[in-house]
Amino acid sequence: MLSKLTVSFSPHIGGPYSTRRIMGDVIIALVPAMLAGLYFFRGYALILIPTCVLSCVVTEWLCNLIRQREKPLESLGDLSAVITGIILALSLPPAIPYWAAIIGSVFAVAVGKMVFGGLGANVFNPAMVGRAFLTASFGILMTTWTAPATIDTGLPKVSANRPDAMTQATPLGWSKQAIKTRAAQPQDTAGPAVFVNAQLKNLFIGSTAGCLGETSKAAILLGAVYLLIRQVMNWRIPLAVLLSTFVFGSIGYLANHTAYISPLAHLVTGGILFGAFFIATDPVTAPLTNKGAWLFGAGIGALTILIRVVGEYPEGVMYSVLIMNGFTPLIDRLCKVIPVGGKPNV
Amino acid sequence: MRGGFPGGVHPSEKKELTAESPIKPGPAVKQAAVLLSQHTGAICKPAVKEGESVQAGQVVGDSDAFISAPVHSPIDGKVALITLQSHPVIGRAPAVIIVPDAVNPAKRPQPKPQERFPLDLDIEKYTPQQITTAARKAGIVGLGGAGFPTAVKLEPNPEKPKDFLIINGCECEPYITCDYRVMLEWTNQVITGIRLARKATGHPKTIVAIEDNKPKAVEALGNALKRAPGCKDINVIELKTKYPQGGERQLIKSVLDRFVPTGGIPPMIGVVVLNVATAAAIADAVMFDSPLTHRVVTVTGEAIARPGNYYVAIGTPVKELIDFCGGVTQPSAKVVIGGPMMGIAIADLSTPVTKTTGAVTVLTKEQIGTVKFTRRQTPCIHCGRCLQVCPERLNPTRIAHAVKNNLMDIAQSYFINACIECGCCSYICPANIELTGLIRTGKIYLARQKKLMPS
Repeated sequence: MLSKLTVSFSPHIGGPYSTRRIMGDVIIALVPAMLAGLYFFRGYALILIPTCVLSCVVTEWLCNLIRQREKPLESLGDLSAVITGIILALSLPPAIPYWAAIIGSVFAVAVGKMVFGGLGANVFNPAMVGRAFLTASFGILMTTWTAPATIDTGLPKVSANRPDAMTQATPLGWSKQAIKTRAAQPQDTAGPAVFVNAQLKNLFIGSTAGCLGETSKAAILLGAVYLLIRQVMNWRIPLAVLLSTFVFGSIGYLANHTAYISPLAHLVTGGILFGAFFIATDPVTAPLTNKGAWLFGAGIGALTILIRVVGEYPEGVMYSVLIMNGFTPLIDRLCKVIPVGGKPNV
Repeated sequence: MRGGFPGGVHPSEKKELTAESPIKPGPAVKQAAVLLSQHTGAICKPAVKEGESVQAGQVVGDSDAFISAPVHSPIDGKVALITLQSHPVIGRAPAVIIVPDAVNPAKRPQPKPQERFPLDLDIEKYTPQQITTAARKAGIVGLGGAGFPTAVKLEPNPEKPKDFLIINGCECEPYITCDYRVMLEWTNQVITGIRLARKATGHPKTIVAIEDNKPKAVEALGNALKRAPGCKDINVIELKTKYPQGGERQLIKSVLDRFVPTGGIPPMIGVVVLNVATAAAIADAVMFDSPLTHRVVTVTGEAIARPGNYYVAIGTPVKELIDFCGGVTQPSAKVVIGGPMMGIAIADLSTPVTKTTGAVTVLTKEQIGTVKFTRRQTPCIHCGRCLQVCPERLNPTRIAHAVKNNLMDIAQSYFINACIECGCCSYICPANIELTGLIRTGKIYLARQKKLMPS
């Protein structure tokens, strides 16, 4: 019974972590957001989420076949394709046709991840690559927002030339409207920005138009708490994103609070919370060091506000995450860790 | 409780297997293979010839180098052979094989009774020089694992006076309990050793550090120190149980809140760290001129029939030790010299016990973990867990991947040589990457490069 001994480097025991367990925890943390999507957008979520997940998983398998991997199914076990699918689905407009979702998923996994060499080698967040591709290709589909099933019908329509009763502008659409019309808007009347600020509670619960999974901040926070308890993510990244969003969001509001929405409204509208906790924390595309994590998160927050307030798009989480992903290798080089004993005297 | 050190992990301790097992005499020696390199520093040259008769305690190997320690025969017998023998750390090393005159199974190694180490020993009769010389003559090295010659540490150095003497009773490795039993059972001997070491190093402030999972040892040493003369100012402090609390650099951070400079050694900041078992060996050497020929070894692992702590002759083959403990009861996958975090897996069971062998741990496939056993590595997902647990605050994944791609300059720019090889990064890695193994490989590459290209 003492034959065939294994010889290898120490340590000879391993901790409880595995890539699959980490990814599994992220999926569990995404469940509240998925349920919220199901509650607010009903049938859309029922179709969209499985479509994206399935097409992501199948794409990874096909890519493995093309790469002539010995075990083409093995890499599916790490569940990263499932997460890409869920995150992509949750960041799409609910009413997007299924074929567009499939195109996005295929692009996300094939071009966003597999061409780089699979999990761990990709530079950009695959789900955001897929979403960016869809935004560039199907602009109208990606900006047609469905009112949630629970919507308060009394909400005003900002854009009069959208007769479709089922569509509705997002709070960030109103915010953009407010910024664009700020010259014409008298300082003392209630404009769109003031209206958004008054909707904080609805925005928090999620009863508003927006992407499938990002509307309900309560559900996202629930998942985030789970991630924090399980120590799955580096908490510095979301904290940095939210702090920097708040700080940079305050600038406009302090200057003109009828034209710019409040920093709190910035935090509960659009994808910033979802992005902070589930997209920016993707370990593969985020910096390794703690100092780098602060810088990375702060950059995402600042860029998001810049795009929201100054840029042409009403929402900028996707682009700011992608831009900061590109900076990650540089940030890692900039924020090297120094050994506890200081640099050695060479 | 002090601040502690950055990083670290909490592997399951498994000390309950042997913690309550008192130190028992080990197997009678059938053949002792005394390795000539059991320490950090120069390898000894054999001092005996093949066929020569030797007595227990006789020097069989010595060296003139400053950083070295002689080795002694544990038994009366005859030198059968001087040959290469498998060595737990360096692969193969010359060894003196000694066969006893007569194998007597009843003649098992016995430790000295504790009555011979009175707590109120008058240490005034020993000068620092005498203590250091005795430690050198007895071949005492750090018994915690690194094996640095103790005499070199004790030696008074007028340029760098010693401010602190830390006695290391942490024993943070899982499974191992030999130091714990030494603290409980050889309390007087340990205290005597501490007093002598303190005298030799010029009366620095002395602190005994023990992890808080060993309250009995804290109590035993604390009580004995109260009764020993001139030891009122020696404090026993409890440290948080966290691996690698017993690492010299981590211990100094936890106890004194000071960092040893990268690439430096504790004496540079005026600190000497001694293991409790080393202290006990100093007492034995100074009082009775006894060389270090035996030590306490924990033979453990769920597969071992009778795990326990044994007083074993240095040179005893591991195979004999395992057989002495009843062999294994279930199929085993690894035999590790030392604990599972930093120990070395051996393939050759004739590898002898050395001065630094604190434990022989037999691990089954289940304990290693099926994934780790099959060594199925998945790609690094840059999760940064290795950075969070690294007690030296390095970037293990960057270093390891640089080594893997043979980019040694990048590995060096991430301070590869500051790695203490504690294994925390490999332990925590969700992708199951052998980070510590790769880093160690890189350090070996660098050492070879240096040899090939002397500056």
